[in-house]
Formats: sequence, C-alpha cells, structure tokens
Amino acid sequence: MATVDSTVRAEAPVRGRGADTSAGLGPYRLGLRRLRRNKAALAFGALFLLIVVLCLCAPLYAEHVAHTSPNANHVTETVVVGGVRKDVVSPTGQPIGPTWQGRFLLGADQNGRDIAVRLLYGGRNSLEVGFLATLLTMVLATIVGIVAGYTRGFVDGVLARVLDLIWAFPVVLLGIALGTALALGGISIGPLHLEGNSLLVPAFIIGIVYIPYVAKPIRGQVLGLREQEFVDAARVGGAGPLRIMLSEILPNVASTIIVFVPLMIANAILLEAALSYLGAGVQPPNPSWGTMISDGIRLIPSAMHLTFVPGLMLVLAVLGINVFGDGVRDALDPRAKVRLEEHAEEASR
Amino acid sequence: MRVRMRGATAIAVALLLAAAGCGGGGSDNGSTSSSSSGGGQEGGSISVLMGTAPDYLDPQLGYTTQSAEPDWITYTPLVTYRHAGGTAGGELIPGLAEALPEVSRDGLTYRLRLRRGLTFSDGRPVKASDFAYTIMRAIRVNWGGKSFFTSYIDGAAAYDSGRADSISGIQTDDATGDITIRLTQPYGAFPNVIAFPSAGLVPRGTAMRNLSNDPPPGVGPYMYTQASANRGFTLQRNPRFARFGIPDIPTGHLDTIRVTIVSNTQSEAQRVLNNEADVFDAGDTLPPSLLPQIESQARDRFSREPIPSTYYFFLNVTKPPFNNAKARQAVNMAIDREAMVRLASGFLEPTCWFLPEGIVGHPGNDATCPYGLDRPDLAGAKRLVQESGTAGAAITVWGEERSPRREYVDYYTDLLNKLGYKAQERIIADEVYFPTIGNAKTDPQTGFADWIQDFPNPSDFYLLMDARAIQPTNNQNFSKVNDPHIQAELKRLNPVPATKLDSVGDQWSALDQYTARRAYVAVYGTETMPKFFSDRLDFDAAVFHPTYLNDWTSLQLK
Repeated sequence: MATVDSTVRAEAPVRGRGADTSAGLGPYRLGLRRLRRNKAALAFGALFLLIVVLCLCAPLYAEHVAHTSPNANHVTETVVVGGVRKDVVSPTGQPIGPTWQGRFLLGADQNGRDIAVRLLYGGRNSLEVGFLATLLTMVLATIVGIVAGYTRGFVDGVLARVLDLIWAFPVVLLGIALGTALALGGISIGPLHLEGNSLLVPAFIIGIVYIPYVAKPIRGQVLGLREQEFVDAARVGGAGPLRIMLSEILPNVASTIIVFVPLMIANAILLEAALSYLGAGVQPPNPSWGTMISDGIRLIPSAMHLTFVPGLMLVLAVLGINVFGDGVRDALDPRAKVRLEEHAEEASR
Repeated sequence: MRVRMRGATAIAVALLLAAAGCGGGGSDNGSTSSSSSGGGQEGGSISVLMGTAPDYLDPQLGYTTQSAEPDWITYTPLVTYRHAGGTAGGELIPGLAEALPEVSRDGLTYRLRLRRGLTFSDGRPVKASDFAYTIMRAIRVNWGGKSFFTSYIDGAAAYDSGRADSISGIQTDDATGDITIRLTQPYGAFPNVIAFPSAGLVPRGTAMRNLSNDPPPGVGPYMYTQASANRGFTLQRNPRFARFGIPDIPTGHLDTIRVTIVSNTQSEAQRVLNNEADVFDAGDTLPPSLLPQIESQARDRFSREPIPSTYYFFLNVTKPPFNNAKARQAVNMAIDREAMVRLASGFLEPTCWFLPEGIVGHPGNDATCPYGLDRPDLAGAKRLVQESGTAGAAITVWGEERSPRREYVDYYTDLLNKLGYKAQERIIADEVYFPTIGNAKTDPQTGFADWIQDFPNPSDFYLLMDARAIQPTNNQNFSKVNDPHIQAELKRLNPVPATKLDSVGDQWSALDQYTARRAYVAVYGTETMPKFFSDRLDFDAAVFHPTYLNDWTSLQLK
C-alpha cells in the first residue's frame, strides 16, 4: 500500500497578506508553469486521463462492440475465432483467452463474462470509489484539520485523539473490518441508508480510514498559520473564527489540499482494489479491478489473462496518477523534492 | 458425514423425527465375500497429501471427511459400511458386532452382540461396556454430531446435562458381549448413527478430552502411530486385526500410510501429478488451472467420482416471488445445468432430483424431470414469469464466497435478471453463511444450498423438506416447505429401519418426483470428487467409497 508523503504539508506558499508572489506571478500560476515543464508528469497524467475516458465509454463499448453487459453470463455459448467455433467456457471450466475481436476481445472469465467489458466497467467502479473516497477524505480532513488546528484546546484534543484512534489501526485491516461488517447490513446515517452492495459503502470506508493521513498535516500547518500576522490582523479587524478559517486559513492550506488529491486518489484506488480482492469492497457480481484479480487467482496457470489484464490496468492507473501527483507537488512546492533528496543523502551516509 | 460440517445438523435431525411412527424389526446378516487383493504388492509405504487438515484425530471428535477417512479404518464401530464403491458402499454390514442389530417390533430397542476374542491395537481385550463408554465419551467431549445420540438414546440427554453418571438406555454384558440400546422414539436411520466412526470403540477409561495428538487405541485394519494436529499423522497396519477374521472388512495392503497436511491444493495436486506423493485427498478441490494438465498427463490415474450430495437453489415459498408456483417452475425450467457443470470445472453431474444417485429412492433414469434436464427453456420460463405476475420483483440472492459456489450464484443472479426479475447478490463469508440464511431474521428469498450425506439414507436428505425442521435459528429447511403430503409420507417412511430401506424405495422415489413437480427447490447437480493417485498405485483396484471417499485399505502399490 502506498503511503502519503507528509513532507508536503508545511511548505506550501502562504497567500493573503503575507503571501510570497515571486516574479509577479501567483503561486498557482507559477505552479502551473512548473508543471507544464514536467513532461513526465504530464505524460502520466494523460495516461490516467485516457484510462478515465476509456472507462467512461464502457457502456458504448459493451453495447456496440461486445454486444453484452458486464454481468451477463455466456457459460455454454460459443464464439467463432479465426473461422473456428470455440467454447466460451470449456466443459472443464477453462475460459477462452483473448480473441482480439469484438466479442471477448480480452477473453472471458469463469462465468463466460467478457473480460474487456468487465475491465472497463470495473475501472468505472474502481475510479468512482477512488474519486468519491478522496472527495470524502478531503472534505472531512480539511474541516477537522482546520478546526482542530485553529481552535486548539479541548476541541483539538478530542479531534486529535479521534484521528489517533483511526490512525492506530492498519488501514487495510480497518478497511476489511468495516467492509465485512457493512457489506451485510449497509450503512444507515439518519435518513440516509446505503445497501451493503452499494459502491458508496467502500467509498465511505476508504474515505473514513484516510482522514487522519490528510487531517494531521493540515492541522500542523494551521497551527503555524494561526500565529501569522495576517491572521492577527483579521482578528483585530473584527473577523470571527469561522470567517478567519474560511477566508484566511483555508486559502493558505489549499495548495496542500491540491497536492494531496492525486495522491489520495491513487491510495484510494489501491485500497479499493485490496478490499475488493479480499471481498470487503465492491460486491459481486459488480466488477472492479480488485474483484477481477481475485476471481482469476485460482486459474492463474491456465488463464493468466484473468488476473494480468485487471492487474495491468490497476498498475497503469495508479502509476499515472501517482507520477502526475508528484509533478503537482513539485510544481506547487519545489522545496519538498529538495528535502526528499537531502533525506535520501542523509540516509545513505 | 459431511465434507464441510454444519453444527446445526444434529439438532435439526432431532426435530425431524419428533413425531415419527413405529418401525419394523428383524435382523439381517449382510456378510458377503471379502474384497480381493488384486495383482499388486503387499506391504510398502505411501504418502497421502491433505490440503485441509482433519478437524480432530480423536475418533470421538472428528466430524469431517478428512478425519473420517483414517478413523473409519482405525476405529471400527459395531456396524459399519461395506468397503465398496457406488451404491454397494452404502450397505450396512456388521463391524465389531456379530450381526446387524436386531430391532424390536416397536422400533425402540436394538440388540447386538460383540464378536468374541477382539482386542484393541494395544492388546487390551474389547468388552461390551467399551461401547457404552465410547458413546459417553463422544457426548462428554462434545462431538459435533452428539445430538444423534442424545436425541434418540434413552438417558443420553440426562448424561449430557450432568443429571446422570451413565446412559441408562445402553445396557451391556461383558460376559456375553450383549449390548442393548433403548431409544426414546423410533428412528429408522439409527443403525446408520451407530455406524459413525465416532461410535468406533475405544477402551473404557480413555481420557475424556481431546486426544488428537495421541489418539487412543482402536480396533481396525490400521492404527495411529504418530499424530501432530495440522501437520500430519501416520497409520500403520494393525498386526492383531487380521487374526479376528471379520468378514467384509479388508485388512489392507500397505504397511504404512503417511499423511501430510500441505498449505495449498495447487502444490498438493502438482506433487501427485509429478509422482512426488501418492494420493491427492478427495476432500480437497482440485485446482481448475491444473485440470487440463492432469487430464492429458494423468488420464489413467484420475477420475471424477460421484458422492451422494445435492446442490440446489432454495426458493422460499413463504415470500414473493417464490410463493408463486409458476415462478418456482420458471427457475427450474430456465436453469442451464450444463453451465453449472462447467462452473464446477466438471465436478458436478446434472440432475433435477433431490435424492441423489446412490441413495435409496433416487428416481433414476426411467423418471423424467418435470421441467427438463438437458435443455433449458428460457423462453418458456419467461412466459411463466409473465403469467405469474411476478416479473419485476426484487430478489436478493444469497451465496458463499468460495469458488465455485460464488460462480453458481453469479450465474443464478444473471439468470433471474434475464427472467425479468431485479436480482442482486449478497455474498457472505463461508463460516457464517448457513447460520445466517438459517436465521429467521434473515428470512432469505433464495440462494445457494447443498447437502452432502451424513449417512446413506433418504431421511437424511428429506430433513431439508420437513416442516418440523423450520426453526428460528439454524433452520435447514431454507425453502420453508410445509407440504401436508410430504409430512404424511415422512411420517410413514422415516421410521423404516435402514436395513429394510429397499422395501420402501419406490415410495421414496414417488415422494421425490412429487417434490420435483412442486418445484420447492431448483436442484442442478450432484457433486463429484477427484480420485487422483500417483503412478505407483493400482488405480483400478482402489475403492472410492460414497461416504468415506478413498478407502485406504484398498490402496496397493503396483
């Protein structure tokens, strides 16, 4: 499991009355200019974007090319490949491999379901969970981090302990525990009820378990910011705590939040895959890259495509968003890279 | 004996026959000729691999096939099964008793006599009172199926609860070897109960605790000489057993059988394929990925052997849409049983009957499946769904995680959606699956279910159709069938003694055909298990027993 690089947390450019705007450019415009120069980050960002677009096109592919749906079984059907009629699933349960044609382009799984179709729909589900979980994490972590850091005292003490409590559990174990418990009965929060097989359940779980990983760095940054002169000036000017947090503090932690977003998406996608692999994430028969890998494990020696194809997609998607995320971090906070290199040199000595 | 235990079985069985009628009596001597030794070697040593460890190596605790395989040949009960494959393997024969039990006219008293001159593997003489002690021990150490004893043997429940120091319903006479068992109610399958390996005799005074690391002496062709829970054990030929000359119980060919527990079935199968080990345990699932290789390279030492079992989807008749007979018929009509066979990697034989082949009452090839067997009729099924007015109903399909059961449920859910329902799956962990769907609070609409025989008797299967088995917890009648005709027939057929089952075979068959017509469940297959050996063993001479799988007494080096 990838971990979040917490070194980005305290060095983001300070905006507002104390902001550093070198060369007459704002920090974000400056960051964008740096990002444009980072070709590797852009290339991997484009790769991730391509995967997202492909996955969004899943219904079109399923209907017009593969002529099936992601959960449709074709166990006893046949398909003509190179003029030869072949079983989609053999009498001994061996699924057909890639046909390199419209139907079963990347082969079939044990239930005779089209791997290519499930790959795209699975990508939609994995990405949907990843994005929703990241959104939940970022919103809640930002609120908790800013409130805890700005108010300090009792509120900070309570929130910090809650974060410590969540942090104390290994992410995957906590995810499995929550996923297994919630898969059966779903979640009820007030009038809102999520069925156990809803995609929102794994999104909710992943969103919750990652809150401390974002909230703690933000809190640390806010603890420093609240002592800055521009915050004192706002307070003297009559601004209340809520206004100060929204108009003075939040803009100054925005770059940290932005840097975290791609990293959290990558982590959320990986955790979703891990949970789904273990049966605690996306619920069958709905596909996700994790469930597809899990389904194919028992046939690895004879039908490697069942695990290889979703595994490759997972690697490419996470690699793409991670390298792009590194590029964003370097663009918004170039000193983070220098610090990392210094740490590496010290470690090697 | 189940391949996978379910703790609820015995409780449900106890309820099943709460109001059973009277059974007939009589004795039957089932002795026939001994099994032949074939043309292979006598003696030698082999290695057996098990991917799943036996639950216990203590005979009064073991309750899975992995423990029953060795226990069957190390702890012979008073009554046991013929060492033969297929239907013949379900025949009860005298074990340590001189003959099959003599049953009183009211079906409440069973009389047996212990053979003379028997000794345990450590040389101690076997006494009739050892039987009473063995049953008490099984109850005291809390055997998973102990309610087979406590529900039927008079005084066993009192002993279990601590209200008595012994079981009043078992009387023994060490001088004559007479054993009399008094039941609280007639139970036709009782001879099957005392044929469990858990009723295999151990010496009086054997510690009332788990002895899996030091199994007690028994009477059988083999004896434990080394045991280490979860790692392996060794059986050696019992030199005393051959002298007893018990008909129909072979003395075995091999001197030593070394059993090793391995971490995964992939390496287990690979080692047998490479002749690095001799036996792939039949209770394990053969990895589908190795099947093509096994079928091409080891065709002459691999086969699929059917065992009496029923795989089906239950259809809860008390809830929509399956409270509608046409909806149930549609499911039976639409199921593609050939697809199920493929999902099972070929380890399933298609059927529509609830009683599997090998069990008395199985309708057989002469009967026709009421909703078809070979060719699914999806169009006809869709019409039935439309006629039933249940189209569009929301259905939750329950299933287990492990393969291929999850694949069955994936297929079934897709099928229900094709029929016009709005079906979704609920897959839960294997360990909690049956307790969950057997809980009245869950009250599931439909889902996966299976039954593998405890013993070869139709009443063991029809427990699942008995209205008295519907319980708030640990329910086994998942379809919640409460049919007056079935109840009346069970009341009449259940008390028939196991030794006279053939006399009512036609009546069981008629009942099973009635059940199929009513479509209370959607049966799709009976399981087959792998018989897979190394090149060293005589494959054809080896017996695959319907209850205890590979009969190790029949294994012989070429």
